[in-house]
Amino acid sequence: MSKIRWSIPITIVLLCLGIMLSLQFQAQTRIASDLTLQRTETLIAMVRGLSEKRQKLALEIIDLGAQLRSQVESNRDEETLLESIDLEMKKLQIVNGTTPVKGPGLTITIEEYMPIIYTDLLNIVNELWNAGAEAISINEHRITGYSTISVAEDIFSEANYSIFMTVNHEKLEYPIVIKTIGNANNLEKGLTLPGGIMDNLALFNAYPKIEKVEELEIPAIQKPVTYYFMNEYKPPEGTIAEEKKDEAANPLTKPLRNILP
Amino acid sequence: MWFILPIIGLILGIYLGSNITFQLPAIYIKYMSIAVLASLDSVFGGIKAVLKNNFDGTILLSGFFTNALLAALLAYLGDRLDVDLYYAAIFAFGVRIFQNLATIRHHVITNLRQRKALARGEKNE
Repeated sequence: MSKIRWSIPITIVLLCLGIMLSLQFQAQTRIASDLTLQRTETLIAMVRGLSEKRQKLALEIIDLGAQLRSQVESNRDEETLLESIDLEMKKLQIVNGTTPVKGPGLTITIEEYMPIIYTDLLNIVNELWNAGAEAISINEHRITGYSTISVAEDIFSEANYSIFMTVNHEKLEYPIVIKTIGNANNLEKGLTLPGGIMDNLALFNAYPKIEKVEELEIPAIQKPVTYYFMNEYKPPEGTIAEEKKDEAANPLTKPLRNILP
Repeated sequence: MWFILPIIGLILGIYLGSNITFQLPAIYIKYMSIAVLASLDSVFGGIKAVLKNNFDGTILLSGFFTNALLAALLAYLGDRLDVDLYYAAIFAFGVRIFQNLATIRHHVITNLRQRKALARGEKNE
């Protein structure tokens, strides 16, 4: 009985003492870890370590910035490359005739009564190319490197046997209209120069009508060509370089070498 | 085994104190240390009283809290008045703690000797 009587107050007192002690202990350790109470050597070491770390991080920032810049630059390069490729593609499409084109030029109209055969058409087209035509179409058939201009005969209807001209394997209907884009004056001169194609045709009493037009539209080819067998061929680099070097060194060597076995 | 309950109380107190989120402001650390000193004095006084068989729970509890509070207040007052009563409190409580400890030691030793003598006497008989 007496033991319980005194052990409870002592327990309460010790509980309070424990709380106070640990609080005090925490506070004291907190103060001891305060920067103002550190030893000078530790502080110096800390400052040194932190400044080193800071330097490293600054270097990293510079590094990463350079990386970012190079990435942005390469990105820009790629964009310009893509743009130039796009431009190139458009040019090639124009050249290959896979897109409709527009521009000033000439129209040449041939009526049915004019005695003209397909070779005359060929001559006219050749003359136009010579005179600097950039795009040619005959009755809405675009003339490209794969075009044909030929003659065919209708053998199935014996009653009214007929010969007709074809372009791109399609029958030409009269009036034949040749559209061409280019410098109109040059094209006209090319056709009408003395002794030229128009003079020749005049001998046969054929006078195709030539008109200058401000704005012409030439359609795209109807069937784009698909390539199954053709591959790009690049000669081995060494030979070209050597040849070029030889040429540069002595222009006389090339013909000589060509003649000699 | 009368001391187990107080020891459990002490451990529980330390555990509670270390888990409390409350942080003692740095200005009060000085006063808190004086209060802790006063509390220690009270605890040793209590143990001495137990050993001397004149223990009074009320006196112990009142002494514990009033001593702690008064010591802290005194130290504070000393700071205000620019008198280092802080050292006076340290001195007073320190002396009392050592006196209490000495009395406890004396008591424990005499108790042990008595017991030994008793045991020897019993053997001799």
